[in-house]
Amino acid sequence: MKLETTGNSAAAGNTGTALKTPITQNFWRRALAGLVRLPLLIYAILTLYPLYWLFISAFKTNEDFFKRPYGLPLVWMKENITRAWDLGHMGRAMMNSAIVTILAVALTIILGLLAAYALARFNFRFKKVVVALFLAGLLIPIHSTLVPLFLMMKKIGLLDTYGALILPYTAFELPIAIFLAMAYMASIPREIEEAAMIDGTGWWGIFGRMILPLSTPIIATISILAFLRFWNDFSFALVFINSQSLKTLPLSLSLFSDGFGTDYALTMGAMAIAVIPTIVIYLILQEQIMKGMVAGSIKG
Amino acid sequence: MPTAIRSKGFIAIALLPALLLFLVFVIVPIFWSAYYGLYDWKGLGAAKFIGINNYKVILEDPIFWRALKNNLILVVSSILGQIPIALLLALVLLKNTFFTRLVRSAVFMPMVLSTVVVGLIWGYIYNPQFGILNYILEHIGLGSWARPWLSDPKVNMYAISIPINWANIGPYLVIFIAALQNISPEIDDAAKIDGAVRWKKLLHVTLPMVWGTVVVTMVLCISGSLKAFDHVIVMTGGGPAQSTELLATYMYNNTFKVYRYGYGSAVSTMIMIISALLIGINYIVTRRKAS
Repeated sequence: MKLETTGNSAAAGNTGTALKTPITQNFWRRALAGLVRLPLLIYAILTLYPLYWLFISAFKTNEDFFKRPYGLPLVWMKENITRAWDLGHMGRAMMNSAIVTILAVALTIILGLLAAYALARFNFRFKKVVVALFLAGLLIPIHSTLVPLFLMMKKIGLLDTYGALILPYTAFELPIAIFLAMAYMASIPREIEEAAMIDGTGWWGIFGRMILPLSTPIIATISILAFLRFWNDFSFALVFINSQSLKTLPLSLSLFSDGFGTDYALTMGAMAIAVIPTIVIYLILQEQIMKGMVAGSIKG
Repeated sequence: MPTAIRSKGFIAIALLPALLLFLVFVIVPIFWSAYYGLYDWKGLGAAKFIGINNYKVILEDPIFWRALKNNLILVVSSILGQIPIALLLALVLLKNTFFTRLVRSAVFMPMVLSTVVVGLIWGYIYNPQFGILNYILEHIGLGSWARPWLSDPKVNMYAISIPINWANIGPYLVIFIAALQNISPEIDDAAKIDGAVRWKKLLHVTLPMVWGTVVVTMVLCISGSLKAFDHVIVMTGGGPAQSTELLATYMYNNTFKVYRYGYGSAVSTMIMIISALLIGINYIVTRRKAS
C-alpha cells in the first residue's frame, strides 16, 4: 500500500483557483479540511473507545466498575491482572496458542510455497484441476466443515490434540498462501533458474537456495495473515479441543467469562492480557498487516 | 530444462503434501457431511439411513428459517454498513498524512482482535445491569431507549451486527484506499478538463472505477457474515429462545448440544449450498448492474 502522496490533481486544483483570492481561498479550504477532520477524529475515538474501556475496567474493583463505568479506576488494581493470569491458567493457554500458531504457520509456509512453486513453474496434467480445487477452497465456509471434521478426527483419534488444530488450520490457509505465493513467483525471472540449472543445481537446490530467499516478502505477508487467523481462532478450538491443558487463548477466555461470570473486573483483566500481544504486534507491523489483508482479501 | 523424469518427481513431492492435506481436511469433509446428512445418527450406535428426511425436517423447522433470516440480516447490515462507511472514509482518508494514517490505524485496530474478545467486550457494553451503553443513554436523557440489547428479540440481531461492523470496517477501508489509488491521475485530469463537478466526478468516474472492488467486498461480506458464529456463541449462544440463532450456531447446537450428528451434517450441507447460492446471486445481480 504505497500511497501516492499529495497527488498531482490536488496541486493542479490549487493553482487553478489560487489565482483569484489566495488568502480567503486558503482560509475556506482549511476550514473545510478542519470540518472534515472533526467527524473523522470522533469516529476514530469511538472506534477505540471499547478498547480503552476494556483497559480501564481491567484495573478496577468490581464496585468501581459498577458505579463509575467511564471514570478512571479509583484504585489501580494490578491484582486483577495477576489473579486472572493464575486463575485462568493464562500462561498455559498462551503457550498452547503459541505452539499451535507457530507450528501451523511453519507448515503453511513450507507446504504452501512448495505447492505454489510446482504450480507456478511447471506444466503437467491435472494442473488446472488442482488450481480450481484450491480456488474452490477459498469459498468454502469454514463452519460447514466443523461437524464432518469433528466426526472424521474422532474416528482417527486426532481429536483433542495439537494436531486437531494445526492440520485443519494449515489446510484452510493453504489456498490463500498458494495463490499469494504463485502470483509473487510469477514475478521472479526464469533466467535465474536457467543459470542455476547450467551450474548443475537441481530443483530442490533452486527452490531452497533461490526461490525461498527471493520470496521473503510474500512469506512475511502469508505469515502475518496466518498468524492472525490461527492465534485468534475460536470455532475450531471450541469444537476440537476438550482437555484443559490444550486450550488456546480465545477458548480459555470464553470459558473464563463463563466461570467467573460475576467477577467482571477479573474477566476484563483476563481479556486485557489476551489482547496485549496482538495489539503490540499490530502497532509494530501495521503497514504489513494492512498490506497483507488487502492482498489476501482481494485474492480471496 | 532437466529431464522430464526429474522434474516429475519434484512436482509430485512438492505438490502432494499440500494437496493431500487440503483434500483431507477441506474437500473430503464436504462429502462426509453430505453422506452423514442422509442418516439418523446420535454419535453412538448404528446410523440409520433415512434418505432426505433430515432435509425435510430442516425445511419444516421454523428455527432454521429464523437462523437463515438472521444470517441475511447480518449480510445486509454488513453490505449497507461496512461498505458505504469504509468507502466514505477511504475517500476522505486517501491522502497520506500523519492525521489520515492515525485515523486509518485506529479504524483498523479492532480487526486484529480475537472474535472472542470482540464478543465479550460488546456483551459487557450491552449488559442490562452494568452495560455502558444504557448508562450513557440514561445520562444524555435517552433513558427510554435503554433496554436489554441482547435479549430483546426485536433488536438483538441488530445489536449483534454492530460489533461485527465495528471489527470489519478496517480491512474494507484499506482495500478501498488501495483501489482508489489505482485510479490513474490521467483519468482524474480528464474528468477535470471536461469540467466535471466534484460529486459528479465521484458518481460517474470514481465509483465505476472501483465497482469491481465493491463487488469483491460484497462477497467478503457474505462469507464474513457466515463467520459470525463466534460472536453469537460468545454473546448470546443463539438465545434467548433461539432468537439469535445463525445457521452455523443452529448446526453447532444441534450437533454438539443434543448430539444429532446426522442432522447437524445435513445442516452443514445446507450452509454450503446457501453460501454458494448467495455468492451466485450476488454475482448475477452485480454483473447486471455493471453492464
